Amino acid sequence: MKLGRNVGARPLWAVFLVMAMVMAACTGTTTDTTGGGADTTTDGGEAPATTGGEPSDTTAPPTGGVTNPETFVHAADDEPTSLDPAQVEAGEGGETVILQVYDRLVEFTPDGPDLIPGIATEVPSTDNGGISEDGTVYTFTIREGVVDHEGNPVDATDVKYSWDRALTMDLPESNVGLLADTVASTEAPDASTFVVTLTQPNAAFLNSVVTQSVASIMSEEFVEANGGVEAGTPNEVIATNPVGTGPYVFEAWNRGENMLFTVNESYWGTPANLDLRIEIVPDPDVRVLGVRAGDYDTIETDPSFVGDIEGAEGVTVFQGEFLLEPIHIGFNLNYPVDQLPPEDTVPADFFYDPLIRRAFNHAFDYEAFVNGALGGFGAPTPFYLPQGVLGYSEDLPVYSQDLAMAEQLFRDAGVWDEGFTVSVIAEGGNLFEIAALVLKDSLEGLNPNFTVNVLALAEAQFDEAHASDPVPYALWVKNADPFADPHAFQSEYMDPEGNWGQVHGMANGYQDPETISSMIDEASVITDPAEREAIYHELSAMFYDDPMWIIAGNEVAVMAYRDWVQGFVMNPLWPRPSLKFALFDKG
Amino acid sequence: MQIRDYVLRRMMVLPILIIGTSLIVFTLTRVGGSPIGIYLSHEMTPEEVAEVEQRYGLDEPLPVQYLTWAGGMLTGDWGWSGVAAAPVRQVFPDKLGATMELAVAAGIVAVALGIGLGTYGGARRDRLPDHLTRVFSISGAAMPIFWFGILLLIVFWVGLGWAPIGRSDADIFQSIAHPTGLYTVDAVLAGSWNALVDAIWHLILPAIALGFGTTAIITRMMRSSLVETMGEEYVDAARAKGLPEKLVLRRHARRNALIPTVTVIGLSFGFLLQGTVVVEIIFRWPGLGRWMADAVLRGDQATIMAYVMFTSVLFLLVNLVVDVMYAYLDRRVVLGA
Repeated sequence: MKLGRNVGARPLWAVFLVMAMVMAACTGTTTDTTGGGADTTTDGGEAPATTGGEPSDTTAPPTGGVTNPETFVHAADDEPTSLDPAQVEAGEGGETVILQVYDRLVEFTPDGPDLIPGIATEVPSTDNGGISEDGTVYTFTIREGVVDHEGNPVDATDVKYSWDRALTMDLPESNVGLLADTVASTEAPDASTFVVTLTQPNAAFLNSVVTQSVASIMSEEFVEANGGVEAGTPNEVIATNPVGTGPYVFEAWNRGENMLFTVNESYWGTPANLDLRIEIVPDPDVRVLGVRAGDYDTIETDPSFVGDIEGAEGVTVFQGEFLLEPIHIGFNLNYPVDQLPPEDTVPADFFYDPLIRRAFNHAFDYEAFVNGALGGFGAPTPFYLPQGVLGYSEDLPVYSQDLAMAEQLFRDAGVWDEGFTVSVIAEGGNLFEIAALVLKDSLEGLNPNFTVNVLALAEAQFDEAHASDPVPYALWVKNADPFADPHAFQSEYMDPEGNWGQVHGMANGYQDPETISSMIDEASVITDPAEREAIYHELSAMFYDDPMWIIAGNEVAVMAYRDWVQGFVMNPLWPRPSLKFALFDKG
Repeated sequence: MQIRDYVLRRMMVLPILIIGTSLIVFTLTRVGGSPIGIYLSHEMTPEEVAEVEQRYGLDEPLPVQYLTWAGGMLTGDWGWSGVAAAPVRQVFPDKLGATMELAVAAGIVAVALGIGLGTYGGARRDRLPDHLTRVFSISGAAMPIFWFGILLLIVFWVGLGWAPIGRSDADIFQSIAHPTGLYTVDAVLAGSWNALVDAIWHLILPAIALGFGTTAIITRMMRSSLVETMGEEYVDAARAKGLPEKLVLRRHARRNALIPTVTVIGLSFGFLLQGTVVVEIIFRWPGLGRWMADAVLRGDQATIMAYVMFTSVLFLLVNLVVDVMYAYLDRRVVLGA
């Protein structure tokens, strides 16, 4: 006996039908758009979907092609770990939020390294009397009428409080070293005057200290009402509920989802145009799909995804300036041989020999890394002057792959015939691991007696090893911390008496470590940029002959944004992703 | 032994089991290394690392660290999640709610579609609809979730613009309270039709992605079971009585065919929970799976330990309840044996 055609199936089709009707109905009500933009949108008039399913009564009426017309939506690649300026780590996602919510005394202009007033009414200089003749005292006049997002007035005493707070908390994960290494004392003689005395003249003080997250301003009244200040202890309220004076008011942090901000209508400067939502989207493929769908206005991406975005309707790929975070491979001249991985055969003084360090540099396949891993969006970088900082010049010497030279240097160093095995550590699954693999291919391709073991570690494992002293590995890969001034790069990565100089035992390798150290110190206190540049150029040539790193490449900032975004600008001197959303509009 | 005595005895043993479990969890986690890595930044000096160790009590001897941690678990201080940048205890309920809501939605999709399609195909054995449902179930079992999920996003999010991503619309989310962490329930409690539609709307794609594999299994099970049942003598007897085929199917065949299928459905829920890791990553769903994957990859031991401890204690409690239920329902079970 045959069954009826619809036996047992009607409810199923009914479900499909209802679902289709609901989807169609919701689609019809979710596209909220604004007028204009015909010349800026290349969607051919098709309205992209909104955050989908957003009921019609919560959005603006459809008027022309822009999703979420009242809110700017940015897709970030990671969740912040702290939103407290006194705790945030340099280059970490929390800096993105701090840049929008807080103000500093002075700020970088949107399009370059020049400074403009922030909460201070003008940028101090020797001409306007803001900088003392000996370069050690900086006087800032504080703007009147500034209030934080809770309505608390902010004046010079709050500026002093903010800086002193960071110094008192002295949290190791923060960038407080910038202040601690530079500032001798702070004073607020009256409500509109803030005076900083430096330990010594510092040409980079305004650019590399005052503009940084750690120097952000908050109200004393608010902090004292929310946990106050305790040495060595993070303030959980400020770390998760930032209240500043900036153009955006922090509203909510929905873990794993998004962070919400509204326009600060009481902002002392030009208010933001749109509310802001930062979506937390760790998967890079989903960020790409999101900007193509029109749900995200800007996304953080990297060169390897450009191919997926280019040509997409309504999406612009922006190739900006170089990032200030070159990817480098560190030579460790201070590793304990007995703690190296058992396969390693390198002796304790292996990297003492500059011939070997130069040979490694000549062997590395820079072209493969830049054109492959960075998709062509990168370039070699001189020691240690990334593109964009004072002193960088295309004329400075940079390494390129020269296998014949590498072989000769290895032979001169006496390791060509015997060979070696060395391990290199890197965080797994990213550009750092790829750089390590390029090193492996380069050296093992050069000589079968050379073996490079790439150890791809989880982030926490890498950080633990990386923070050890001595580091129990001979080589590691990471990117540099971003700095706005060349002195920070020199002192952090090249100075034998600096942080990495000591951990890596650079004094064991440099021909003349004292001279290098004194030249770096000298350049840091000279106020004439031309004189400083000359010293950095001289140092760069010395470092080329005596390299302590392989700089695999410096990455160009790549972003993607919807065509309806107006006023898009990116300044690599701002914390990554180097965007101030208050400057943007949509239409 | 009386049930009351049995329950009391089990309750007295429970704390010992929980302490034993906590010791195992703590020891096994520490075998993997110190939890300090997640709290470090890249450029810390050894002195700064020592400061961080002191802050989190990691400079203390291991027994002291264990007691601190165990005491914290009892008092509600489950540690600081480096991945979520918040106390574990604060984040956990939200993440758990998100995952449970997704798993239940996927379960509903799987059961509704699986039984429906299985019945449809089984009732039309070896005809076109039967072949189609079999193709459907094979493809569901064969397709990796991550690929299917991305496919759904490309078609329904990017291409057609019909479906959203994430768990909710940000504005609607902010407009209602979230006492349960289950957005659909919260929406009903708040009496907000908009929020309910929004919550369901955001659930559809990830629930389909997560439930597809299970749908396929249930479909296949239901179809096979129905085909077998339709050949039973009591079905022939029902037909011989002159019952319409529709009633024969509904009242006799399908009901009996459901018995083995229900067993499979029960077992499938664990499969759904496993799949949430991938689906939550792809669909930006802020649940336990994504959080745990992050925690494992980044070495966030406070989060991992809290999760393992939570599930272990839950398992112990459920086990206790099940044992007591057995004893209550079936008096032949010898208590305390």
